[in-house]
Amino acid sequence: MTTTAPPTTAEGTMISLVGSLADNKAALGRAYADWAVSAPTLESAVAAAAMAQDELGHSRSTYPVLKALGVHDAEVDAGRRLALLDAGLVDWTAFIAANLLVDGVLTTFVAETTESSLTQMAQRARKILQEEGSHQVHAEAWARRLCRSGDAQRDLFVARLAEAWEHASRWGGPAGDPGFAAAVDAGLVAHDATHQREQVRSRVLELFAREGVSITLPEPVDWTGWDPDRRRWTP
Amino acid sequence: MTLESRECVWEVFARKEYADPLHHVGTVTEEDEELAVVSARSIYDEQPWIEMVIVPRSAIREAIRA
Repeated sequence: MTTTAPPTTAEGTMISLVGSLADNKAALGRAYADWAVSAPTLESAVAAAAMAQDELGHSRSTYPVLKALGVHDAEVDAGRRLALLDAGLVDWTAFIAANLLVDGVLTTFVAETTESSLTQMAQRARKILQEEGSHQVHAEAWARRLCRSGDAQRDLFVARLAEAWEHASRWGGPAGDPGFAAAVDAGLVAHDATHQREQVRSRVLELFAREGVSITLPEPVDWTGWDPDRRRWTP
Repeated sequence: MTLESRECVWEVFARKEYADPLHHVGTVTEEDEELAVVSARSIYDEQPWIEMVIVPRSAIREAIRA
Protein backbone atom coordinates (compact mmCIF):
# COMPACT_ATOMS: atom_id res chain seq x y z
CA MET A 1 0.00 0.00 0.00
CA THR A 2 1.50 3.33 -1.06
CA THR A 3 0.71 6.17 1.31
CA THR A 4 2.06 9.68 1.38
CA ALA A 5 0.55 11.04 4.60
CA PRO A 6 2.22 10.32 7.96
CA PRO A 7 -0.12 8.82 10.60
CA THR A 8 -0.17 11.97 12.74
CA THR A 9 -1.76 14.08 9.99
CA ALA A 10 -5.46 14.36 9.21
CA GLU A 11 -5.05 12.38 5.99
CA GLY A 12 -2.88 9.74 7.63
CA THR A 13 -5.43 9.24 10.41
CA MET A 14 -8.29 8.95 7.92
CA ILE A 15 -6.33 6.39 5.90
CA SER A 16 -5.92 4.36 9.06
CA LEU A 17 -9.59 4.78 10.07
CA VAL A 18 -11.10 4.07 6.65
CA GLY A 19 -8.78 1.14 5.90
CA SER A 20 -9.48 -0.38 9.30
CA LEU A 21 -13.22 0.28 8.93
CA ALA A 22 -13.21 -1.71 5.69
CA ASP A 23 -11.12 -4.55 7.15
CA ASN A 24 -13.29 -4.74 10.28
CA LYS A 25 -16.48 -4.80 8.24
CA ALA A 26 -15.05 -7.67 6.19
CA ALA A 27 -14.13 -9.54 9.38
CA LEU A 28 -17.49 -8.79 10.98
CA GLY A 29 -19.27 -9.98 7.83
CA ARG A 30 -17.43 -13.30 7.94
CA ALA A 31 -18.06 -13.65 11.68
CA TYR A 32 -21.78 -12.98 11.20
CA ALA A 33 -21.90 -15.44 8.31
CA ASP A 34 -20.47 -18.18 10.56
CA TRP A 35 -23.72 -17.98 12.53
CA ALA A 36 -26.08 -17.98 9.56
CA VAL A 37 -26.86 -21.65 10.09
CA SER A 38 -26.42 -21.95 13.85
CA ALA A 39 -28.12 -18.94 15.44
CA PRO A 40 -30.61 -19.88 18.19
CA THR A 41 -33.65 -19.16 16.01
CA LEU A 42 -34.38 -19.42 12.31
CA GLU A 43 -35.26 -15.72 12.33
CA SER A 44 -31.88 -14.71 13.76
CA ALA A 45 -30.03 -17.08 11.44
CA VAL A 46 -31.60 -15.26 8.51
CA ALA A 47 -30.85 -11.90 10.16
CA ALA A 48 -27.21 -12.98 10.66
CA ALA A 49 -26.95 -13.86 6.98
CA ALA A 50 -28.52 -10.53 5.98
CA MET A 51 -26.21 -8.58 8.29
CA ALA A 52 -23.21 -10.50 6.96
CA GLN A 53 -24.19 -9.55 3.43
CA ASP A 54 -24.55 -5.91 4.50
CA GLU A 55 -21.14 -5.82 6.20
CA LEU A 56 -19.34 -7.44 3.29
CA GLY A 57 -20.99 -4.96 0.93
CA HIS A 58 -20.00 -2.03 3.15
CA SER A 59 -16.44 -3.31 3.25
CA ARG A 60 -16.27 -3.69 -0.50
CA SER A 61 -17.63 -0.19 -1.08
CA THR A 62 -15.36 1.43 1.53
CA TYR A 63 -11.96 0.39 0.14
CA PRO A 64 -12.24 2.76 -2.87
CA VAL A 65 -12.46 5.69 -0.44
CA LEU A 66 -8.76 5.13 0.25
CA LYS A 67 -8.00 6.15 -3.33
CA ALA A 68 -9.46 9.59 -2.62
CA LEU A 69 -7.01 9.79 0.29
CA GLY A 70 -4.04 9.18 -2.00
CA VAL A 71 -3.72 5.42 -1.51
CA HIS A 72 -3.58 4.06 -5.04
CA ASP A 73 -2.95 0.37 -4.40
CA ALA A 74 -5.03 -0.22 -1.30
CA GLU A 75 -4.54 -3.65 0.15
CA VAL A 76 -7.80 -5.45 0.84
CA ASP A 77 -8.19 -7.32 4.14
CA ALA A 78 -4.79 -6.16 5.35
CA GLY A 79 -5.05 -7.27 8.99
CA ARG A 80 -6.39 -3.95 10.28
CA ARG A 81 -9.22 -5.71 12.15
CA LEU A 82 -9.84 -5.95 15.86
CA ALA A 83 -8.00 -8.87 17.47
CA LEU A 84 -11.41 -9.85 18.90
CA LEU A 85 -12.47 -10.91 15.41
CA ASP A 86 -9.37 -12.98 14.58
CA ALA A 87 -10.94 -16.28 15.60
CA GLY A 88 -14.61 -15.51 14.99
CA LEU A 89 -17.33 -15.22 17.62
CA VAL A 90 -17.27 -18.18 19.98
CA ASP A 91 -20.91 -18.24 21.06
CA TRP A 92 -24.17 -16.37 20.59
CA THR A 93 -23.53 -14.01 23.50
CA ALA A 94 -20.21 -13.06 21.84
CA PHE A 95 -22.13 -12.51 18.60
CA ILE A 96 -24.57 -10.10 20.25
CA ALA A 97 -21.78 -8.34 22.17
CA ALA A 98 -19.97 -7.70 18.86
CA ASN A 99 -23.25 -6.77 17.17
CA LEU A 100 -23.87 -4.20 19.89
CA LEU A 101 -20.38 -2.82 20.51
CA VAL A 102 -18.11 -3.51 17.52
CA ASP A 103 -20.84 -2.78 14.98
CA GLY A 104 -21.91 0.10 17.25
CA VAL A 105 -18.46 1.72 17.35
CA LEU A 106 -17.93 1.37 13.60
CA THR A 107 -21.40 2.71 12.79
CA THR A 108 -20.91 5.65 15.15
CA PHE A 109 -17.78 6.57 13.20
CA VAL A 110 -19.66 6.25 9.89
CA ALA A 111 -22.41 8.51 11.25
CA GLU A 112 -19.73 11.08 12.05
CA THR A 113 -18.77 11.23 8.36
CA THR A 114 -22.14 11.96 6.75
CA GLU A 115 -21.09 15.60 6.31
CA SER A 116 -17.42 14.82 5.75
CA SER A 117 -15.29 16.95 3.43
CA LEU A 118 -14.22 13.58 2.07
CA THR A 119 -17.25 13.34 -0.20
CA GLN A 120 -16.65 9.72 -1.22
CA MET A 121 -16.98 8.71 2.44
CA ALA A 122 -20.00 10.95 3.05
CA GLN A 123 -21.84 9.42 0.10
CA ARG A 124 -21.23 5.89 1.33
CA ALA A 125 -22.05 6.80 4.93
CA ARG A 126 -25.68 7.60 4.16
CA LYS A 127 -26.27 4.25 2.47
CA ILE A 128 -24.41 2.33 5.18
CA LEU A 129 -26.45 3.99 7.93
CA GLN A 130 -29.72 3.00 6.25
CA GLU A 131 -28.73 -0.65 6.49
CA GLU A 132 -27.11 -0.43 9.92
CA GLY A 133 -30.42 0.60 11.49
CA SER A 134 -31.65 -2.99 11.44
CA HIS A 135 -28.33 -4.21 12.90
CA GLN A 136 -28.84 -1.97 15.92
CA VAL A 137 -32.43 -3.13 16.35
CA HIS A 138 -31.23 -6.75 16.24
CA ALA A 139 -28.42 -6.14 18.74
CA GLU A 140 -30.58 -4.23 21.21
CA ALA A 141 -33.52 -6.63 21.05
CA TRP A 142 -31.24 -9.62 21.68
CA ALA A 143 -29.43 -7.73 24.44
CA ARG A 144 -32.76 -7.24 26.19
CA ARG A 145 -33.58 -10.92 25.70
CA LEU A 146 -30.23 -12.09 27.07
CA CYS A 147 -30.63 -9.81 30.09
CA ARG A 148 -33.90 -11.61 30.85
CA SER A 149 -32.63 -15.15 30.17
CA GLY A 150 -31.51 -16.06 33.67
CA ASP A 151 -28.42 -15.37 35.73
CA ALA A 152 -25.97 -17.65 33.91
CA GLN A 153 -26.82 -16.40 30.43
CA ARG A 154 -26.88 -12.76 31.56
CA ASP A 155 -23.55 -13.04 33.38
CA LEU A 156 -21.90 -14.66 30.36
CA PHE A 157 -23.28 -11.88 28.16
CA VAL A 158 -21.95 -9.19 30.50
CA ALA A 159 -18.51 -10.85 30.41
CA ARG A 160 -18.62 -10.95 26.59
CA LEU A 161 -19.56 -7.26 26.54
CA ALA A 162 -16.58 -6.38 28.73
CA GLU A 163 -14.27 -8.31 26.41
CA ALA A 164 -15.74 -6.73 23.26
CA TRP A 165 -15.50 -3.25 24.77
CA GLU A 166 -11.78 -3.72 25.54
CA HIS A 167 -11.20 -3.99 21.80
CA ALA A 168 -13.96 -1.84 20.33
CA SER A 169 -13.41 1.11 22.66
CA ARG A 170 -9.77 1.42 21.55
CA TRP A 171 -10.61 1.47 17.83
CA GLY A 172 -10.90 5.26 17.70
CA GLY A 173 -7.59 5.74 19.48
CA PRO A 174 -6.54 7.60 22.64
CA ALA A 175 -8.04 10.87 23.82
CA GLY A 176 -6.29 13.92 22.43
CA ASP A 177 -4.78 12.09 19.47
CA PRO A 178 -3.32 14.89 17.28
CA GLY A 179 -4.08 13.10 14.00
CA PHE A 180 -7.74 12.64 14.94
CA ALA A 181 -7.94 16.26 16.09
CA ALA A 182 -6.52 17.36 12.74
CA ALA A 183 -9.11 15.22 10.93
CA VAL A 184 -11.88 16.93 12.92
CA ASP A 185 -10.40 20.37 12.17
CA ALA A 186 -10.28 19.49 8.46
CA GLY A 187 -13.96 18.53 8.46
CA LEU A 188 -13.18 14.91 7.60
CA VAL A 189 -15.03 13.61 10.66
CA ALA A 190 -17.40 15.49 12.96
CA HIS A 191 -16.09 14.58 16.43
CA ASP A 192 -13.08 12.94 18.05
CA ALA A 193 -12.71 9.40 19.39
CA THR A 194 -13.60 10.32 22.99
CA HIS A 195 -16.88 11.88 21.85
CA GLN A 196 -17.69 8.86 19.72
CA ARG A 197 -16.96 6.45 22.59
CA GLU A 198 -19.28 8.46 24.80
CA GLN A 199 -22.06 8.24 22.23
CA VAL A 200 -21.83 4.43 22.20
CA ARG A 201 -21.38 4.23 25.97
CA SER A 202 -24.40 6.38 26.81
CA ARG A 203 -26.68 4.50 24.40
CA VAL A 204 -25.64 1.08 25.66
CA LEU A 205 -25.64 1.98 29.36
CA GLU A 206 -29.15 3.39 29.00
CA LEU A 207 -30.30 0.15 27.38
CA PHE A 208 -28.92 -1.94 30.24
CA ALA A 209 -30.17 0.45 32.91
CA ARG A 210 -33.70 -0.06 31.57
CA GLU A 211 -33.17 -3.81 32.08
CA GLY A 212 -31.86 -3.27 35.60
CA VAL A 213 -28.47 -4.75 34.66
CA SER A 214 -25.34 -2.95 35.79
CA ILE A 215 -22.40 -2.88 33.38
CA THR A 216 -19.42 -0.60 32.99
CA LEU A 217 -17.88 0.61 29.74
CA PRO A 218 -14.76 2.39 30.98
CA GLU A 219 -12.62 4.81 29.06
CA PRO A 220 -9.55 2.83 27.98
CA VAL A 221 -6.47 3.76 30.01
CA ASP A 222 -3.77 1.26 29.11
CA TRP A 223 -2.67 1.73 25.48
CA THR A 224 0.15 -0.81 25.66
CA GLY A 225 -0.31 -3.13 22.71
CA TRP A 226 -2.12 -0.51 20.62
CA ASP A 227 -1.13 -0.31 16.96
CA PRO A 228 -2.29 3.11 15.65
CA ASP A 229 -1.79 2.20 11.99
CA ARG A 230 -3.90 -0.95 12.16
CA ARG A 231 -6.15 0.46 14.92
CA ARG A 232 -5.74 -2.83 16.69
CA TRP A 233 -5.17 -3.56 20.34
CA THR A 234 -3.50 -6.82 21.30
CA PRO A 235 -3.84 -7.67 24.99
CA MET B 1 -34.67 -19.93 25.02
CA THR B 2 -37.74 -21.25 23.22
CA LEU B 3 -39.96 -18.84 21.33
CA GLU B 4 -42.88 -20.97 20.35
CA SER B 5 -45.73 -19.59 22.40
CA ARG B 6 -48.70 -18.22 20.50
CA GLU B 7 -47.90 -14.69 21.69
CA CYS B 8 -44.52 -14.74 19.88
CA VAL B 9 -45.90 -15.59 16.43
CA TRP B 10 -46.43 -12.75 13.98
CA GLU B 11 -48.36 -13.11 10.73
CA VAL B 12 -46.64 -11.30 7.85
CA PHE B 13 -48.57 -9.60 5.06
CA ALA B 14 -47.17 -7.75 2.04
CA ARG B 15 -48.03 -6.35 -1.38
CA LYS B 16 -46.12 -5.35 -4.50
CA GLU B 17 -48.43 -2.58 -5.73
CA TYR B 18 -50.77 -0.20 -3.99
CA ALA B 19 -53.59 -1.50 -6.19
CA ASP B 20 -53.08 -4.97 -4.72
CA PRO B 21 -54.49 -6.16 -1.41
CA LEU B 22 -52.09 -7.26 1.30
CA HIS B 23 -51.34 -10.98 0.95
CA HIS B 24 -50.33 -13.35 3.70
CA VAL B 25 -46.70 -14.31 3.01
CA GLY B 26 -45.71 -16.19 6.16
CA THR B 27 -44.92 -15.95 9.84
CA VAL B 28 -42.03 -15.02 12.10
CA THR B 29 -41.52 -16.05 15.71
CA GLU B 30 -40.01 -13.32 17.87
CA GLU B 31 -40.67 -12.02 21.37
CA ASP B 32 -39.60 -8.50 20.48
CA GLU B 33 -41.79 -6.41 18.16
CA GLU B 34 -38.91 -4.49 16.57
CA LEU B 35 -36.95 -7.67 16.05
CA ALA B 36 -40.01 -9.26 14.45
CA VAL B 37 -40.04 -6.42 11.91
CA VAL B 38 -36.35 -6.96 11.14
CA SER B 39 -36.90 -10.71 10.82
CA ALA B 40 -39.89 -10.32 8.53
CA ARG B 41 -37.96 -8.02 6.23
CA SER B 42 -34.94 -10.36 6.22
CA ILE B 43 -36.86 -13.59 5.65
CA TYR B 44 -39.42 -12.43 3.10
CA ASP B 45 -37.17 -10.23 0.98
CA GLU B 46 -37.39 -12.23 -2.25
CA GLN B 47 -40.06 -9.98 -3.76
CA PRO B 48 -39.96 -6.21 -4.46
CA TRP B 49 -42.61 -5.39 -1.84
CA ILE B 50 -43.85 -1.83 -1.48
CA GLU B 51 -45.49 -2.57 1.86
CA MET B 52 -45.11 -5.21 4.53
CA VAL B 53 -46.93 -5.39 7.86
CA ILE B 54 -46.85 -7.80 10.77
CA VAL B 55 -49.74 -8.69 13.04
CA PRO B 56 -49.49 -10.62 16.31
CA ARG B 57 -51.28 -13.94 15.88
CA SER B 58 -52.86 -13.41 19.28
CA ALA B 59 -54.71 -10.37 17.88
CA ILE B 60 -56.48 -12.43 15.21
CA ARG B 61 -60.10 -13.40 15.86
CA GLU B 62 -61.89 -16.14 13.97
CA ALA B 63 -65.00 -14.98 12.17
CA ILE B 64 -65.78 -18.32 10.51
CA ARG B 65 -64.58 -21.82 11.23
CA ALA B 66 -65.74 -24.51 8.80
